Amino acid sequence: MNVSFITFRSVTFAQRGEVVLRAAGIPSSLRRTPKWMEERGCGYCLKIKQEDIPAALGQLRQKAVPFRKVYTQDSDGKLEERVP
Amino acid sequence: MIYLDNGATSFHKPSSVAFAVRRAMATCANPGRGGYTAAMNGAQTVYRCRETAAKLFDCLPEQVVFTGNCTHGLNMAIRSVVRPGARVVISGFEHNAVTRPLHALGAQITVAGRKLYDWENTLQEFEDALRKGQDAAVFTHVSNVFGYILPVEQMSALCRRYKVPFIIDAAQSAGVMDVKLRPLGAAFIAMPGHKGLLGPQGTGLLLCGRELTPLLYGGTGSESRNQQMPDFLPDRGEAGTVNVPGIAGLYAGLSYLTLHGGPEAIGRRERIAAVQCAMELEKLGLKVFRGPHQGGVVSFVPQMDCEELADALGKQGIAVRAGLHCAPLAHESAGTLDSGTVRVSFGYDASQAQVRGLLQAIQKILNR
Repeated sequence: MNVSFITFRSVTFAQRGEVVLRAAGIPSSLRRTPKWMEERGCGYCLKIKQEDIPAALGQLRQKAVPFRKVYTQDSDGKLEERVP
Repeated sequence: MIYLDNGATSFHKPSSVAFAVRRAMATCANPGRGGYTAAMNGAQTVYRCRETAAKLFDCLPEQVVFTGNCTHGLNMAIRSVVRPGARVVISGFEHNAVTRPLHALGAQITVAGRKLYDWENTLQEFEDALRKGQDAAVFTHVSNVFGYILPVEQMSALCRRYKVPFIIDAAQSAGVMDVKLRPLGAAFIAMPGHKGLLGPQGTGLLLCGRELTPLLYGGTGSESRNQQMPDFLPDRGEAGTVNVPGIAGLYAGLSYLTLHGGPEAIGRRERIAAVQCAMELEKLGLKVFRGPHQGGVVSFVPQMDCEELADALGKQGIAVRAGLHCAPLAHESAGTLDSGTVRVSFGYDASQAQVRGLLQAIQKILNR
């Protein structure tokens, strides 16, 4: 299963994002953002299935939950930043 | 003990509050600082409270900033809105938590509306002051001394009309009256967590309707490489570790309120007790402050020194507060700056039995 990460500037935004996605039936798990994904220092992210990314981003935008970046796996299994 | 000092803090809290504090101390580490279970428990606990408060006060979760008390929140709000030397209109019933920060900033203060329980006077003088030009307005929702409920909806509308940013001190109204950030359009609303919201002491909330100037600078668990405070809420207002056990207790207090009919139902019970109390005190020949637009607080001037009466009541197991209640401006408005008053402030457990107990004790003291 390919996984993706949506990063947030704060734990509060990530938590609100988690609530929004849960309400939309999109499972996610909240965790610390891996260091290499967060050039500003520290942050939190939501780990979700790659196929849920379009719907998840749509929900976050609709509910005005600010997120930073999206990382998805390429065909080799490497995580890369995607323009959301 | 008959506890009638809820204006200072609620005391007989629901048992769920202490339980939540204890549980948080056993299960929660620093929120927003780690990814292990205890840190995430802390983050979850804090977010639940933030989200519940946001629903109750009609704003987004990130607009809820946790503070140490209402004074802390008011200082943050005032520092965000009022520049040194700015023109600021306030009501005649403000607490030192409002007036002292304004004096510290050298604000040019206009006091508008000094007649108790008189909405017409309050609104007229308030609009006159706004018309003359103000940089900001700060006003209490309910006087902590006299229970006067100010016309905050109309005052807010006036501020919006004159495009003056305003701050509401909801120290006595949060948890017992309707308080909503979005419809009022306030720059900030500050409130304690430990009074009407039934949380532990050391908790407070600042609802942010506009950009916040930090009072404290430090770690937030976010964007750590940036040497400026984050430009987003709530992190911008929450430097350092927040009071997780206190916030857990506050969440339990908010949940209790919601499950027991909400602020309106509790406030109604307090107001009924206050009216009954005021009428009975008048029958004893005491000078009692009462009128329309009064919350669950009654002040009176006894025939003896107010502190001595409060002391005597304390010895009979009745807790009231005497003196100036940290609000000399309100006492000056009511003409009680020299005498002070005895203040009776009801809480969520307000009852006729409390009123009867107070009256019997006062009669006993006065008949000595």
